[in-house]
Amino acid sequence: MVETCSVCETRKPVVGVYALTSCYGCQLMIATVEKILQISEAVTFKSFHMLTSASSHGKVDIAFVEGSVSTEKDLIELKQIREDATVLVAIGACSIHGGVQSWDQGLRDYPEMYEKVYGNGEIAYEGLAAKPIDHYVKVDHYLPGCPPDEREIVYFLSTFLFGTYPERKERPVCHECRLAGNPCILIEKGEMCLGSVTTSGCNALCIGFGIPCIGCRGPTPYDTASFDALAKEFKRLGKTREEVLDRLSIFGSHDRRMRQMVEKAYGGEK
Amino acid sequence: MRYLKLPHEKRREFLIELKGYGILYAPVSISEKNFDYKKVDDVDTIRFDYNRTVLPPRKYFFPPNETLFKFDKKDCRLIDAYEDPGTFVIFGMHPCDIIGLRVLDSRFIDDQPDTYYKRRREKGIIIGIDCLPDEYCFCNIRDADFADRGFDLFLHELDDGYLIRVGSVMGHKIVDACDHLFEAIKAEDISVMTRKEREKQAMFQHYENWDNLRYLLELQDSHPLWERESEKCISCGNCTLTCPTCRCYDVQDVPELDGNGGKRIRFWDSCQYREHGLVAGGHNFRDTKLDRFKNRYQCKNAYCETMTISYCVGCGRCTQFCPTGINYRKNLMEIRGDE
Amino acid sequence: MMQSRNIYDTHVCRVLRVYPLTDTEKLFLFRFEDPSIGMNWRFKPGTFVELSQPGVGEVPISICSSSMRIGFFELCIRNAGRVTQKIHSLKPGDTVGIRGPYGNGFPMEKFEGRDLLLVAAGLGMAPLRSVFLYALDNRWQFGNITIINAAKTGPELLFMHELDAMRDIAEAENITILQTTTRDERWGGLKGRAATHLDKVNVDPNNTAVALCGPPHMYKSMFEELMRRGFDPRRIFVTVERRMKCGVGKCGHCNIGTAANWMYVCKDGPVFDYYDMISTPGLI
Repeated sequence: MVETCSVCETRKPVVGVYALTSCYGCQLMIATVEKILQISEAVTFKSFHMLTSASSHGKVDIAFVEGSVSTEKDLIELKQIREDATVLVAIGACSIHGGVQSWDQGLRDYPEMYEKVYGNGEIAYEGLAAKPIDHYVKVDHYLPGCPPDEREIVYFLSTFLFGTYPERKERPVCHECRLAGNPCILIEKGEMCLGSVTTSGCNALCIGFGIPCIGCRGPTPYDTASFDALAKEFKRLGKTREEVLDRLSIFGSHDRRMRQMVEKAYGGEK
Repeated sequence: MRYLKLPHEKRREFLIELKGYGILYAPVSISEKNFDYKKVDDVDTIRFDYNRTVLPPRKYFFPPNETLFKFDKKDCRLIDAYEDPGTFVIFGMHPCDIIGLRVLDSRFIDDQPDTYYKRRREKGIIIGIDCLPDEYCFCNIRDADFADRGFDLFLHELDDGYLIRVGSVMGHKIVDACDHLFEAIKAEDISVMTRKEREKQAMFQHYENWDNLRYLLELQDSHPLWERESEKCISCGNCTLTCPTCRCYDVQDVPELDGNGGKRIRFWDSCQYREHGLVAGGHNFRDTKLDRFKNRYQCKNAYCETMTISYCVGCGRCTQFCPTGINYRKNLMEIRGDE
Repeated sequence: MMQSRNIYDTHVCRVLRVYPLTDTEKLFLFRFEDPSIGMNWRFKPGTFVELSQPGVGEVPISICSSSMRIGFFELCIRNAGRVTQKIHSLKPGDTVGIRGPYGNGFPMEKFEGRDLLLVAAGLGMAPLRSVFLYALDNRWQFGNITIINAAKTGPELLFMHELDAMRDIAEAENITILQTTTRDERWGGLKGRAATHLDKVNVDPNNTAVALCGPPHMYKSMFEELMRRGFDPRRIFVTVERRMKCGVGKCGHCNIGTAANWMYVCKDGPVFDYYDMISTPGLI
């Protein structure tokens, strides 16, 4: 683990916010947090296209990277960012879990998909199957969300400014959902809610509005997501294997245990 | 003890009277099938017929998220950040929840008092109400079906009103302040109460004595039930978060953006999560879902010495609010060899 | 209404000295800022404190100095997580928060009049150093003393130089110091696990108090070896590690045992006797 505290105690940390293949929503989220003026005072933005046209590459103390690696260009850029950064934070669903562009991960051949979309058209850089950035480089911290929650963005920056680093959340959304005082919509309405296998930090916002969790913050880390037990419950509720896999793949297709555990729950039934 | 009768037609007036003491919290409907304690503005929204609330009333004394301290970087000193909620009234607590709170008291007050919990506890007025068991209730087995202490007032429904037991000095003050609402107890009121009490007792599904459960849980450590049931578990933590006696918490420091200060917060934790038994360096003392699953059964069935009951009060929440239908009571009975 | 002291509040302590022990462990000497607290603060060997760095967090650390020294205490801290990483960056003059001491500690009063056998492996030397220094400060209350200090390699042996420096007086004081490594080719001293050196100890098994601290897997083999040599199980004590977040039996992270015997390591431990160890699931 690289320390930032020596940096933070002597001068303002230099921060870069970068985007690979993404919707730029994470950047937008950072740019629009209520305390952005205070943040701009506390750090020096070396690169942050959404905030300053004076963005350039170069050494930074903290790099926030959104987006998945989906082209050769992304990969070259990511490797450069890693080299230039003391601390690298993967931010958002695409960067951490591959994002919705990974939905079909492992189900279809990349050349087949490419042809379907681009035919024999040419694009400037060779495309790659979308992957989370830690597939290619070492990631120091993960800030999940689609987009991340404002409080968490501020918490991350605050810990760095304080000379320490953030604690990783691994509790499921259910935790915050109960704390928020919601009734469980999986129990009460039989909704295909993914809260129990999804990393918390959103205060169960969707469920608060009666919308089942689709797992945008990604599976709980350290292999703690019980996809099998959840899939079994969905099966009991009459959901098909395909429905369950579809739902879990939106943001969880790169989880190496997910498909296998769903298959286990469905016992090979079609 | 002092006993009074509140006629049904005076109930509304009594509730409005209670609002005069501070914020009134009571069970209200939060969805088609669920209830929860909420701040009540309109006393007509209070549900007297609720079965159980999703969250137990401990949330008012031991909040899900709470700031313990504020601090300033320059001198390492902590400044108590307790927020005084003012006097508040919780109306409609069932006996299991009242006893559950007293179980919490045994950990949070009786020994090295947790000043945050204790200060809130001194602010809360508790008005209990009797209830009828549903298929999840087994408070009778847990000796938590009748509250003889731990409330300011306790209401038993009669055919035409409530028999009120006054349980504290505050309780006396409340009824004295609106004594025009009450009547004296008559002999027939007592016979109605005892009849209803018999009816309630007859509604429970089980009546076994579970005194040996603690030892059977230890002896049955290799029972196939553990593997089978823990496989159903999705580690959502609902069972612990909705439990009236669960009290695990975690603490986190949240610095301010200016790098100079911040706050130390605590929030409910659950033994069903991986981090719970994790120590620095990466060793985990409850590394598998099976370990964590067993842990809750052992903890809940340990003996609370000050209350002379188990930590589980038989409220049924962990079963009703388990998304995958793990039946805690049935599992315990299987461990005992009952089912 | 008079409220009791906030049990989670800390006393400010100043770092007086930082002494690197190994690549990952440093020894910190602390003094209480407020003399009225420092002069009244007492602890038993085997107890621990919650060490707080506001903005980062709190960690439980066992005290490793002699309880005879008033107003000061030492902590041996491994750089193993967020908080300890921050603590490792502290310099003399910096401040921390301290609360405690917590836990039962070793029953030193039961050890009086007996020989002492202390067996430490890895970081286990930290709490046992407190026992050892206490015994030296009260030398006349104990018989012969043997201390076994084990680690994977020589550079990882905690307090190796300190123990080495005591060799001169050890013989005159009937103290045997055995330092051993398990995986160090270049180590010139004893080799092998602590249990393999029990034949070199200078204590009478019939009248010895044993204190053990090491990784969980050490205990089973140590118990077998000690039983075989006739040590009295009633006088074997072990100190264990758990995630003691609150230190006062509330937060629940250090819970152990079963429904029949539910315990919190921070209150009911961290020192357990032999019978607790063998009858409490999850303790070994």
